[in-house]
Amino acid sequence: MISTPFVGLARNQARVLGLPSLPTVVLDHPIAGVAIDKVLARVDAALDEIIAKLTTALPAPDIAAVASNRLRCERIELAQADEWSDLQIEFAARGWSDGLPLVPPTEARVSAMVGGSGLRADLVIGEVAPKMGVATVECIAINAVMAGCQPEHMPLLVTVVQAMTDPIFNLKTIQATTHPVAPLLIVGGPLAQRLNINCGSGLFGPGPWSNGVIGRAIRLILLNIGGGHPGEIDKATMGQPGKFSYCIAENEAASPWPSLRAERGFAAEVSTVTMLDAEAPHNINDHESTTAGGLLTTIAGTMAQNGQNNVYYAGEPLLLLSPEHAATIAGDGFSKDDVKRSIYEDARIPMSRFSRENIERRLWRFLPKRYLNRPPHTGVTVAQCWKDIMVIVAGGPGKHSMAVPTCAGSRSVTKPILKPDGSPWLPSDFQEPVSG
Amino acid sequence: MKICSPEGQAVSEKLLQAVSRPERLQGLRIGFLDNTKAPVDKMLAHIDKRLQERLPGIRTFHASKSSMAVPATAQVMGELRANADVLINALGD
Repeated sequence: MISTPFVGLARNQARVLGLPSLPTVVLDHPIAGVAIDKVLARVDAALDEIIAKLTTALPAPDIAAVASNRLRCERIELAQADEWSDLQIEFAARGWSDGLPLVPPTEARVSAMVGGSGLRADLVIGEVAPKMGVATVECIAINAVMAGCQPEHMPLLVTVVQAMTDPIFNLKTIQATTHPVAPLLIVGGPLAQRLNINCGSGLFGPGPWSNGVIGRAIRLILLNIGGGHPGEIDKATMGQPGKFSYCIAENEAASPWPSLRAERGFAAEVSTVTMLDAEAPHNINDHESTTAGGLLTTIAGTMAQNGQNNVYYAGEPLLLLSPEHAATIAGDGFSKDDVKRSIYEDARIPMSRFSRENIERRLWRFLPKRYLNRPPHTGVTVAQCWKDIMVIVAGGPGKHSMAVPTCAGSRSVTKPILKPDGSPWLPSDFQEPVSG
Repeated sequence: MKICSPEGQAVSEKLLQAVSRPERLQGLRIGFLDNTKAPVDKMLAHIDKRLQERLPGIRTFHASKSSMAVPATAQVMGELRANADVLINALGD
């Protein structure tokens, strides 16, 4: 049973999972949020069809519908599209566009981009959900060209695809959900500066650095290799600006604490990328507090909002502390773990702030040990344990930190950026400064 | 101008042979898989009730994913295979 807007997604998944003729019964949308008697009336009206679909033989599998095994991306001659504007129209018509101008992926540009990886063009890096398209090095490179990347970005992009296709990242849900989630790249280590990835002032915003094109290349990979076409497969109700590009670096030099990659066991010379199923960032303004306690009160208050997924599902909400906020908190003797524990304890929403329906059908159902039949003042946490809260230092001068809630069913993945021989890519491996 | 397509091909899409469908539901075990989206549990319980009314003798079995955001576990799928001849699932909002 499917509600109307999700028919395309259901048919796509039935095909990808191997049963394209899976019988479906379609009910009028919406279902959630509608009085239950009206929903059940729709069910009654569909009952004969449900029984019929369960008892009707399926057609034999159409073997011809199975895709061929091709690891070299198709070459296309565009006879009528020599002008830049014609090309943009052609790209959009083929469903390849994120809405911004794309660099034409010519053979020469793609070849140079592949060369930046140090890998064979036909090497398979992963299958990108939900289409399960094969991300060869060449296919990653084509999307990187279109996004405006440089060949030096390829080792990072290949590592991102490795991370996104790790099953615990649950890319299928991230690509298809109604939630406004986008994969956030957090780059750490010496390569971040070498690749010109901004970790300081305005790191989420525009500027002459590589954040924009790297994040955009990943979005194009999700679109073109993963098939996450907005409205059809990507069912985001609203989406968010990070779905264009969402890439930052951790400001390790300004952090009083171990970096994220150090927390996760990587050596100082090993650069990493961490992928997180992230909502848009939300500001935490505190110009007045002069103590860790004061700042953490503001931070906990900002993170404790009841419309986020993290109150119902296990997730890893991210706190980006500005260097000045981090210095104040660390100056009072707080470790990073102390910050996490403090947020876990204090960023709580009284159950009285939740609707009766959400208490009964979400909190009681999904987290009965914590909340079933508890009094109204019971605090609802924004993480299932303090270790699930991620803390990094980022940004430039100023008294603004940021909080990023996450989606559901996904765990962050950190991967080292390695050469084919298993050694880390180092800044000295790149000849010239990389521009964005 | 000659360009390279950015679309990744699916290497080899699986194609499953569905088991033969029953011609009627009488005497069978009907499985229900709740994806935890609101209000699927109530909808599936209602279908269960209606089917029992119309098709006396059927048996029903209910299972649930742990969350809408993750696939059903191997244990849940195993329970469904062991206890159901056909399955009604729900997808979407």
